[in-house]
Amino acid sequence: MKKSLFFALAVLITTAAFAQSRVTGKVTSSEDGSPLPFVTILIQGERGLGTNTDIDGNFILERCPSDAILVLSYVGFTTIQVPVEGRNVINVTMNPDALALEEVMVVAYGTARKGTYTGAASVVKSEAIKDVPTLSFENALNGKVAGMQITTNSGQAGSVSSIRVRGIGSMNASNEPLYVVDGVPVSSGSTGQMSGYIYSTNNVMSTLNPQDIESITVLKDAAASALYGSRAANGVILVTTKTGRLGRPVVNFKASVGITPSFATVNFDIASPEQQVELYYENFWNAGKYDGKTDEASSKSALSQLNKRFNKHGYYFTADDNTVNSLKILGMTDGKENREGKYYNWDDVLFRTAIYQTYDLSVSGASDRTSYYSSLSYTKEQGRSTVNDFSRIAGRVNVNQKVGKIIEFSTNVNISKNVQHGFNDTRSTGGNYFMQSRNLLWPLYWPTDYKTGDPWTARYGSYAYNQVYYNNEWENESNVLRLSANETLTVKFMPELVLKSVLSFDNTETKDHIYYSANHFNASSVKGQVHEMSTNVQKIVSSTTLNYDKEFADKHIVNVLVGWEAEDNQTNYQRSSGTNLPTSALHTVATAGVLDASAYYWGSTMLSFLSRAEYSYDGRYYLSGSFRRDGSSRLGSNTRWGNFWSVAGSWRINNEAFMKDITMISNLRLRGSYGVNGTLPSSNYGWRALTSYGNKYMEDPGGGVANIADANLSWETSYTWNAALEFGLFNNRLNGTIEYFNRDSKDLLQSVPISTVTGFGSTLKNIGEINNHGLEIELSGDIIRTSDLRWSAGLTGSWIRSTVTKLYGGKDIYWYDPTGDDARAKFVYREGESTLALYGLEWAGVEDETGKNVWFLNNDSEADLTVDGRPATYNYSNASEVILGDAHPDFFGGFATDLSWKGLSIALNFVYKIGGYTYNAVGRDVNDDGYYWERIMSQYCYDNRWTPENKTAKYPQRVAIDMEDVNQKSSRHMNPADYLRLKNVTVSYTLPRTWTSKISIQNARIYFNGSNLWTLAAHKEYDPEVNEYGSRGWEIPLGKTFTFGLEFSF
Amino acid sequence: MKKINILLAAICVVLTMSCEGFLDVKPSNSAAAETSITTAADAKVIMNGIMSKMTSSSYYGRNFIMYGDAKGGDFALRSQGRGLDALYTFNHSPSSNSYSGYWSQIYHCLAQVNNLLVNIQKIEDAGNSTSALLVYKGQALTLRALMYFDLVRLYGKPYNMDKTALGVPLALEPLDASSQPSRATVEQVYTQIVKDLTDGAPLLNKTKTNGYINYYANRAILARAYLYMENWGGALAAAEEIINSKVYTLYTNANWVSSWTAQYNTESIFELAMLQGESDLEEGSLSFYLRRLGHGSTSAMGWFMASDYWIQRMSQDPDDIRWGIMDYDESYKDTGVYRFGSCYKYSGSTTFVGDGKGSSTAVNIKVIRLSEIYLIAAEAALNSNSKDKAVNYLNAIRKRSPNLAPATATNITSDMILDERSKELFAEGHRFFDMMRLNKTITFNDDFIYPMVVITHREKTIDRTFYKTILPISIDEMNANEGVRSQQNPGY
Repeated sequence: MKKSLFFALAVLITTAAFAQSRVTGKVTSSEDGSPLPFVTILIQGERGLGTNTDIDGNFILERCPSDAILVLSYVGFTTIQVPVEGRNVINVTMNPDALALEEVMVVAYGTARKGTYTGAASVVKSEAIKDVPTLSFENALNGKVAGMQITTNSGQAGSVSSIRVRGIGSMNASNEPLYVVDGVPVSSGSTGQMSGYIYSTNNVMSTLNPQDIESITVLKDAAASALYGSRAANGVILVTTKTGRLGRPVVNFKASVGITPSFATVNFDIASPEQQVELYYENFWNAGKYDGKTDEASSKSALSQLNKRFNKHGYYFTADDNTVNSLKILGMTDGKENREGKYYNWDDVLFRTAIYQTYDLSVSGASDRTSYYSSLSYTKEQGRSTVNDFSRIAGRVNVNQKVGKIIEFSTNVNISKNVQHGFNDTRSTGGNYFMQSRNLLWPLYWPTDYKTGDPWTARYGSYAYNQVYYNNEWENESNVLRLSANETLTVKFMPELVLKSVLSFDNTETKDHIYYSANHFNASSVKGQVHEMSTNVQKIVSSTTLNYDKEFADKHIVNVLVGWEAEDNQTNYQRSSGTNLPTSALHTVATAGVLDASAYYWGSTMLSFLSRAEYSYDGRYYLSGSFRRDGSSRLGSNTRWGNFWSVAGSWRINNEAFMKDITMISNLRLRGSYGVNGTLPSSNYGWRALTSYGNKYMEDPGGGVANIADANLSWETSYTWNAALEFGLFNNRLNGTIEYFNRDSKDLLQSVPISTVTGFGSTLKNIGEINNHGLEIELSGDIIRTSDLRWSAGLTGSWIRSTVTKLYGGKDIYWYDPTGDDARAKFVYREGESTLALYGLEWAGVEDETGKNVWFLNNDSEADLTVDGRPATYNYSNASEVILGDAHPDFFGGFATDLSWKGLSIALNFVYKIGGYTYNAVGRDVNDDGYYWERIMSQYCYDNRWTPENKTAKYPQRVAIDMEDVNQKSSRHMNPADYLRLKNVTVSYTLPRTWTSKISIQNARIYFNGSNLWTLAAHKEYDPEVNEYGSRGWEIPLGKTFTFGLEFSF
Repeated sequence: MKKINILLAAICVVLTMSCEGFLDVKPSNSAAAETSITTAADAKVIMNGIMSKMTSSSYYGRNFIMYGDAKGGDFALRSQGRGLDALYTFNHSPSSNSYSGYWSQIYHCLAQVNNLLVNIQKIEDAGNSTSALLVYKGQALTLRALMYFDLVRLYGKPYNMDKTALGVPLALEPLDASSQPSRATVEQVYTQIVKDLTDGAPLLNKTKTNGYINYYANRAILARAYLYMENWGGALAAAEEIINSKVYTLYTNANWVSSWTAQYNTESIFELAMLQGESDLEEGSLSFYLRRLGHGSTSAMGWFMASDYWIQRMSQDPDDIRWGIMDYDESYKDTGVYRFGSCYKYSGSTTFVGDGKGSSTAVNIKVIRLSEIYLIAAEAALNSNSKDKAVNYLNAIRKRSPNLAPATATNITSDMILDERSKELFAEGHRFFDMMRLNKTITFNDDFIYPMVVITHREKTIDRTFYKTILPISIDEMNANEGVRSQQNPGY
């Protein structure tokens, strides 16, 4: 108010020649109608005249010339000019400008203006993710940032997503980006130890409530990320949480409920019970014929197989004419129940319409000395499988307080408790619902015995269990309590010299509980089993930076940053286990007859020095450089310290004099960078030769040499250059960036296979090299922009080539998709080939006459036949494995379109992938040639198998003659990866303020969100959104989710 | 300003603090390898580790025992796809079902043994040797001999078939990552086995030692090795030294069956301890692999059971006491006839009493027991033309079939001894190796698989000229080791 008085006085002194009058008004946001406080209002051409809006968005200009033009500016909104035209009351609506070049974005150790930043970074604002029903924000970023691929291993509630920024840069170390929340590197990924027992992950990022997020910046090139040095090679994801805005306190309440009634796509849907029985019969009938038996003998053998398997479940089978044509499924009449014509639908008991609900309450506000944001939220998500659910209670307090004139304290505190009941996703256990229902649980199996009506407890066949019974005989739970607190001290010694010191404490306590009763098949031999595990992950980071920022002579801006950082990570693990439990009522270790325990800790530390200098001239030329020196405990003393640096520059062409007249181009900028950053080994102690003590013998400690270590193990180093052209046309109605990058990752850690005569299969060395290069496009624009109607669209697209360029001794390395510990797709690292080169036998299809599998030889052995002019064989073991295809897509990204009219808006978000292959890792289970004859086959297999009537079939004849799984790793299971998916559609309606203000609601909004509602895929047998290795296994697929929500602010 | 001063002071303290100290983070469950063996107590810890690693499922814990019986014709399958099928079907290639776990696990154990030996040598060189320490040296040398004996039987031709053929690489000290050793000949490997046993013997204790190697275990391995080498005199001498020491006694007919319910019984010369919470393989144990389908647990898959041929052999005497460890198998469901093909040696009893540890799966592996030594003595004596001795030693075991007439000097044959080995040592990992060294033809009970599965990777009968009677070197080893790349076993 002092300021306005001053302005008012100034107005009084300069007696004006024109008519002057008092002008009042209110400034509101076009986004939600909320008042905008502290908007700067100047009168064009009149120095010193002007005012600010107050806390309610109101302003008063005491002596305003009647022909003046008001200039309103506010951070985050487009500056506008309003002619007074003699009015006394002027209400102004300002448009937020998400793409404004002057927009401030969060970058490494500070902020930058988008239009002048020399690095490659993409920003995603909270608006883009806020209505997506997701536990963790990463899942909502799909398709929104060029060059970034997000994949989800599993559709189970609470599972971890995987993010790849600009391809794959490492074979052995992590490929996950570094996560930085409010300026501090944080723990990410799966905490807890459940994966050692069942295949389940928990995602520690889901402790962060997505509604608390203000913005996300993805740092992609070296210039942007090199300040994070040794952890930045895979990109950096900076998350900034909300702060209070100047103005009156705003209370925001949001509630939503979602339902997931079905999977997003077809997923290995099974053939009908009758068709399954037909396949079973056919399998053995064919085997009989193969062995030269008569129809009668073959039919007898096939029927005896069927009867042997299913009599006990209440069915018997006949085939009067000894062929499949007369095959009948009849009911046994000697029990309580005759099941003839009835089949059990396991899907009904194993899966459900899952419900998602979330409630958020936040209060925020700010005065000129204090700002605050606090929130509390509760989320509960059910998985589609009936044993899987997740719940979270999260609270956050962000406070910023100015103390005196130069000191400012900020505190960010987040507390979150997640409880997750898991589910098995791996192929190799008896508890995976999805696998059970699609491959093992015949509709001819029932949860009860047809004779007695008692629960069926025996195994049905090959690893099929009565989940109706066993669900009550085991449980697993993962409990995550995360507390993180950042305290930031900012000292403004001078306006241009600022010291910032951050101390952060990030503590995650994960408690895992697994219990199996004595009746459960996993613990029957030990009479019941319970494990309690506690994993405490503690990260303490302290960083201090000094920043000098000064403008000289109106044209030269210099910014220098120096600082240091120390980080200490420690994980404490404890497990207590009990077996031989006295009663199924008590699921605790305390009651167990036999006890077992373990406890130990591990960790790493890092010390860093960092600096950055930036210089810009006249808003046209920008230069920057950064340097960081990191020392890590994960490396030996010879190689512990590494230097990481970058240089970058940009040229703002549209500010050049010669561009002045080209009004069509509102922004044109070239930028480029080069830099070096690194990746640390995943292992804390990989460089040390160790004796480990995990081999107890006769209750005495036992140990042995654990590895052959390389004491000179070093950093992986990435050398990246980046070039981009940014443009804005038609007053920035069309904006775009085209970016090219090249990243050479060298000294890659490679688990080098060594002769096992040494006692070990591999040793870790810095040996390999990978190149990633690619082109990224981001386009966005407003097709229609009027005050009521706005239609905008955006597109991201990435073309990335990821190639292995050097290997130890030039030798290939074979490896398997590690997901689910199941070695499901086979890959080769080979010089000159993709980092995801699928490897295996090349399937040549089926011989039409015989229905036999045929394989391309790919070697000089004697061929049995030729297919397409190439030598082929019937015997797969004579064929050689080759590279089959690339699991990387050629092109991927997303596009979005938003249409809003008054309060109504519709937003569509698509993701797409073009080119490359996915690997169907369960094809061997559900589409098999007779080896897994105890199992259910998919409809796809039924429809496409060879029979004498269908000789041009895609898949071979089913015949139970081979005691082996002939098609584990072959091109037969490789399918085109292309797809287009409507990832999200959001329809929302903001109630007119004229209605809501009457009940003192500032803003009210209702919305609908649909996730994964529509998918177009090149291969339709399973969900095309596969994991980071391009494979689809027995993890539960994504669902279609329909969410309804409402939001109020007061 | 005061606050700032404190902060700046704090920064200075941290900056001047020893960075290297802050960055030296050690693990809490492992120790530096260079300094972890300096005393006899340390050597014992490493020896425990070696014993524990020998109980891995890839070695004595399961697969090595299964190998000897699944391939030897005394086992049959009732269904496919339950596990370790490929041993029975001989479906091996360097890239699939290579069973490289034998190779890698045994060499891993050898690396531990060699590391222990080198460190004991260091202590000796420093003049700090003690008799307690040397016992571990003796144990390590003996174990090295046993491991090479096992490796050469898996990967090399029988000694009496072609001892100049390739055996396995001989690593006698810790190797570095770049080592790529070639295969030694079968004869070179056997020479090393005998040398290690000879070097180790004088260092060992002669008292009964539960769970570890002692002097008599060393002699028992030597007796076995000599038997394979057809050094009959050596085998007989070694076997008789054990028998005559009276440290061990044969089970009587009355306690033969119950012998499986106890650890470290009177016959146990070398027994590997399997304890709950240590190396107990639970649902993956030998106990489960040999049980009847679904017996005692829904996870029991009924992997392997006795072949018709073995049952016929045992049926020579329906009162053979060794039936006591057998129970009926799953075939009764299809035939209605109880067929006693399931073996419960690794469950303690047919009622799962275990061997005294409260678990039916944590059952010790009796690697060498006195009955085998008697049968070695019998065979060695027969081949040394000491028929009376041979008869005595054989009948000591043969009397477990009370209705069979004892052997006599006139009717004793090598086949009688072989049959007795099959009955006595069933499911203990011997049959296949016996058939190979004796150049016998193995006939498989393929027709037992109900209703019919065609076995495509071998004939119904095989002998040791069939190339798959020895395992392939895995493709991974060939790729990583230049030394063996041109040394694949013929046929693969």
